[in-house]
Amino acid sequence: MPIRLIISYFLMGTGSAFAVVTVLGLLRFPDVYTRIHAGAVVLTISAVLVTMGTAIYVWNFFLSAKIVLIGIFFLFSNPMATHAIARASYKRQIALPKEYEIDAYSDYLGRDD
Amino acid sequence: MNKLIKKIMSLFILAGVTYALYQNFSLMPEYQGLNEGLSSYIIESGLNDTGSLNLITAVLYDYRAFDSLGESTVIFGAVSGIVLILSRKMLPVSSKGLSFIVKRTLGIMTPFIALFGLYVITHGHLTPGGGFQGGVILAAISIIFSIVYGSAFDYRRYSPQTKTALETGGAMIFLGLGLAGIILEGAFLHNLGFLTAETGTLISAGSIPYINIGVGFKVGAGLAIIFYSMIQKTFEEDF
Repeated sequence: MPIRLIISYFLMGTGSAFAVVTVLGLLRFPDVYTRIHAGAVVLTISAVLVTMGTAIYVWNFFLSAKIVLIGIFFLFSNPMATHAIARASYKRQIALPKEYEIDAYSDYLGRDD
Repeated sequence: MNKLIKKIMSLFILAGVTYALYQNFSLMPEYQGLNEGLSSYIIESGLNDTGSLNLITAVLYDYRAFDSLGESTVIFGAVSGIVLILSRKMLPVSSKGLSFIVKRTLGIMTPFIALFGLYVITHGHLTPGGGFQGGVILAAISIIFSIVYGSAFDYRRYSPQTKTALETGGAMIFLGLGLAGIILEGAFLHNLGFLTAETGTLISAGSIPYINIGVGFKVGAGLAIIFYSMIQKTFEEDF
């Protein structure tokens, strides 16, 4: 087995492991913010690792360039979407964590509650 | 007496239509089973007939182009009805949009979304995709503008009048190609012979790419109009 295939299988396997971590976090975390934090893993780390592994696996310039572009698109889009969802749910006060001791975003906004 | 003449005339017209339909349907081949029926004919000789590598596009815009014209008319009727019911006034709705990070990121990504939509439309006869799908992607750009930048931005960039002009232009391209088929080839929506080129190139397959472009702009503008009519509500929140 050439070392290129070993590297690509290693990257894909690491991405799958992060996807499993995401599912565990979505099932086990208590409220919306921690679940968003867990769900952001699957597209930022897992999908990027899997696309990198696939790009190394096919090893053709144009195909690999297209797959790497898809990975860059994931890197752009998913943190932005997670940020938008978290900010909207904070502004709408969906499950506002009263029991949290530190609420840094509220301090940043200068809010008292 | 007048009613009797009307009834007799309508009976004549009905008999004429019946005769024409009978003459038309008697030309159809009998049912031959799924294996050797029309589908195998299209699979075998669709590429030679139309020059389109994507056989679904060949069926949609060459063999069954009349049905696609009907579907476009259905979308036109739906857009007209929704605008008539929901939109009382074509005013820009004030909303601040999402946060700075989302605005900057989508400012980087939106040109690529537009490029992808145009690619799907113009390569409809070569790769999977076509007018309807690419039009929906183009409509997503207008929806992104409305949600992320506030709908006043969308109103300034692409006003409802522009969208209406685009939709009507798309329908006019479709109908104009159909009428050109009557004049040049002898049948409505016939594939234009002088536009054919080498199979697999971008400008080939007769009039199919131009019909794709017309349908794409029509569907995209229509869906954008539907979305803009449905958000005629002032919301104050700044997410």
